[in-house]
Amino acid sequence: MSRTVRWISYSAFFFLYLPVIVLIISSFNASRFGGAWEGFSLTWYQRLFHEPTIWNALTNSLIVAVYSSVLATILGLTSALSLHKYRSYLQKIHLGIILAPLVMPEILMGISLLFLFLAISVKLSLFTVFLAHTTFCISYITLLIKTRLESLENSIVEAARDLGASSWQVFWKITLPFLTPTLVAGWLLAFTLSLDDFVITFFVVGPGATTLPVYIYSMMKFGAPPLINALSTLILLFTAIITVIYYHIAEGDRS
Amino acid sequence: MRRIKEAMLTFPSFCWLFFFFIVPACLVYILAFKTADYTGKILPGWSLETFYSLFDSRSISLTIRTMWLSILTTGISIFIAVPLSYYMASCKKELQQKLLLSLMIPLWSSFLVRIFAWKVVLHPEGLVKTVLVFIGIIDEQTILLYNDIAIVIVMVYSYFPFAVLPLYSTASKFDFQLFEAAMDLGATKRKSFFSIYLPVIFPSILTASLMVLIPAAGAYVIPEIVGGNGAEMLGNTIVRRVFLDNNLPEASTLSLLLSVVVLIPAIVIATWKASHTSQIKGYS
Amino acid sequence: MAASIHFERVSKCFGSAMAADNVSFQVTGGSFFSILGPSGCGKTTLLRLVAGFDTPDQGRIFIDGQDVTHLPPHKRPVNTVFQNYALFPHLTVRENIAFGLRIARKDSSHIVREVDKMLELIQMEAHADKWPDQISGGQKQRVAIARALVNKPKVLLLDEPISALDLKLRQKMLLELDLIHDEVGITFLYITHDQTEAMAVSDQIAVLHRGKIEQVGRPCELYESPRSSFVAAFIGDTNFLDGTVDVSVEKDYSQLHIEDFPPVLCFNDKKLSPGELVHLSLRPEKLRISREKPADHPLHNALKGVVEDVVYQGDHTKYWVRIGGYRLGVTQQHGRFLLDTQQITWKDEVWVWWHADDSYILERYDASDEKLIEAPSEKVGENEENEESKCEE
Repeated sequence: MSRTVRWISYSAFFFLYLPVIVLIISSFNASRFGGAWEGFSLTWYQRLFHEPTIWNALTNSLIVAVYSSVLATILGLTSALSLHKYRSYLQKIHLGIILAPLVMPEILMGISLLFLFLAISVKLSLFTVFLAHTTFCISYITLLIKTRLESLENSIVEAARDLGASSWQVFWKITLPFLTPTLVAGWLLAFTLSLDDFVITFFVVGPGATTLPVYIYSMMKFGAPPLINALSTLILLFTAIITVIYYHIAEGDRS
Repeated sequence: MRRIKEAMLTFPSFCWLFFFFIVPACLVYILAFKTADYTGKILPGWSLETFYSLFDSRSISLTIRTMWLSILTTGISIFIAVPLSYYMASCKKELQQKLLLSLMIPLWSSFLVRIFAWKVVLHPEGLVKTVLVFIGIIDEQTILLYNDIAIVIVMVYSYFPFAVLPLYSTASKFDFQLFEAAMDLGATKRKSFFSIYLPVIFPSILTASLMVLIPAAGAYVIPEIVGGNGAEMLGNTIVRRVFLDNNLPEASTLSLLLSVVVLIPAIVIATWKASHTSQIKGYS
Repeated sequence: MAASIHFERVSKCFGSAMAADNVSFQVTGGSFFSILGPSGCGKTTLLRLVAGFDTPDQGRIFIDGQDVTHLPPHKRPVNTVFQNYALFPHLTVRENIAFGLRIARKDSSHIVREVDKMLELIQMEAHADKWPDQISGGQKQRVAIARALVNKPKVLLLDEPISALDLKLRQKMLLELDLIHDEVGITFLYITHDQTEAMAVSDQIAVLHRGKIEQVGRPCELYESPRSSFVAAFIGDTNFLDGTVDVSVEKDYSQLHIEDFPPVLCFNDKKLSPGELVHLSLRPEKLRISREKPADHPLHNALKGVVEDVVYQGDHTKYWVRIGGYRLGVTQQHGRFLLDTQQITWKDEVWVWWHADDSYILERYDASDEKLIEAPSEKVGENEENEESKCEE
């Protein structure tokens, strides 16, 4: 039986990485039509750097990602603290509201936000994208921090109180330092989720406020220029680095 | 005083989500009870007209198709995720961490990019097709792209890691000495896996299924990119109603339908878990 | 019917640590045999080798004459009671006990009968349909025992089964184990680090230290005639004095030279020659203490000292007496309580004496085992370096 288990596991990893590897290889394929191999080439990478629309989209994505991840982290922190500290009926509802977005398919969240902006006559723009991204990131960060808070021993807080610290001091000197790695990890998670989001963004993006995923999607829909391969490879590289960083922070947390 | 402090701390996230999540969701569900004219303008008055369209054959077959593809995807994902998470949990600590990282890297990289990668892989003149034809599994005429097979493959690919994460979390808390106890009592490794391991982690299998079922049911990008024409799921139909047909009420009704499709399994699983707490202590 | 166990030159390494080092011993069929040793020093490894969860690097293991060295666990006529019980959380008490029989595909009426018999033996009939997390630690342990015994194994292995219970419960469960053993009559192989446990129930004990067997024998043999310093120190309490063998006095006695002490007479069964460095082991209960000088006796050793610490324990008192460079522990049982006797107390000058037959000479122990016989500290923080046990699993 161990052999079957191992075989399935290795196949799963192979399956997971196969398209990625094919993609990376194709990005160096000189062929214009993405079919047969026609020699090694870096033309697509070169072309990438001369494509202003891509840079524009990337900038937009980064702006939104930075702002929404920071705001989401702050809101996630306050909600996690209140969920951890208080056990009232209010918190029960609060928890429900936090968990609900996690069981909802993205498309529903996208369409509902679109309707909201239409209803209150807010023009779709990068700002609406920012609002949307913040919204869906809060739940993840809240859970991340809440879990971490639960492993902060009560006795440490009580010892601090016993030694005369006020609530604010306890927060500042004990809770916050304890949470810092988690906050960074949560922020990184939100940042990545925001950079990568397509479905929700698609619903609430305005003209001229394209984010990178939306741009890639339009490229994908209308043919498959090899530029996408090169762009995708770069994105893969970037996210791989971020994931490793996130992982080291989160793992360092655990020890 | 405590109440005020609590309110202040809860206020920011509560209000934000209330305004940007609860209210919009209600808007959608309310709009399902209205109609629109051909320009897309919402007409005054309430009506159940959009609900009638749910019962025509196209909608029904669409719903069944979506559910079938989602359930199939979920089944295959669990089939992969259970042994994989078991394997990972039984490795040495350092290897476990490396494997987890290897799982997370593709997961964190761009969703779109990975779907696009499949488009390249399944390309009629691509490498995979060439190899498979060469081996003789399929013939030159078979198209791997733009059909239901492609949709399921890419959905499984995109969502099975979401099943692995909760299963791995449970597997790593599993007391492997239970295996030794079973073997001590005469069971082979295989029998122990089926009669001890699976029943004990069953609640986690349910959670993992939900982690796949929910995004799969609401899939939009995947059927759109690799499904081709005629390969519609609820997701892209909703998008079509909004952006092409300008028919927001119908889109709302379909959204309502999608919510129901997703909520029913979620509620069933939550109820099952609530009634079996003493068996599953710690293994959710 | 009762199966014997035979270890033949068994060795097992984990990385660079020798968990079992050329271990050989025999367990008589039907006996209650304990393997005793400090935490994590190889005894669980021996158990796992018998159960089949690990295979030895060298040597062979026989159960009832059959070579089981390479048999997988599910094929061995052995069942294990685990330290943390390992009850299946998704099965009831009854189903847990029935598990082994179901695997063996015994017919259902047989299973029902046997499980009911077991439930009666462990007195859990009322709890048969409960889940493992609804019963207490002691009850879990009984279920674990029943689950193992119902399969009628030739050997029952017990891995520190009562260490997770609190004191009073431990004592009760220990006696129950003894009763069960008498009822069932199969061979019990019991692993523990607690020497009082082992001595209370075992027919034979093997003392294990760093993967090696130090001594195998009946409890009284181990206590009264330990063959090494480790055994003397690990089992019961003792005082160790460093000395050199001086001269032979009569045929079985030698005189020892101990610094700051008058010459000490001791029974020399190991026939050590003059000049050898030894430890003199004195059990606290074998030492007498009083304010008046004892009468002279050719085989008595008497020394003068000062009481430094008094620890009252109800049924006995332990005195720590400073003699020369040593603090000797002396235990005095309280027989009759006489109102007019003045109890010995701090700073009293006392005589400590013992019979030469009550002490024994042992080879000097390893410096790293010193923590086993440490006296209570004289200063705050004195015993800090002795905290960590460096023994590996």
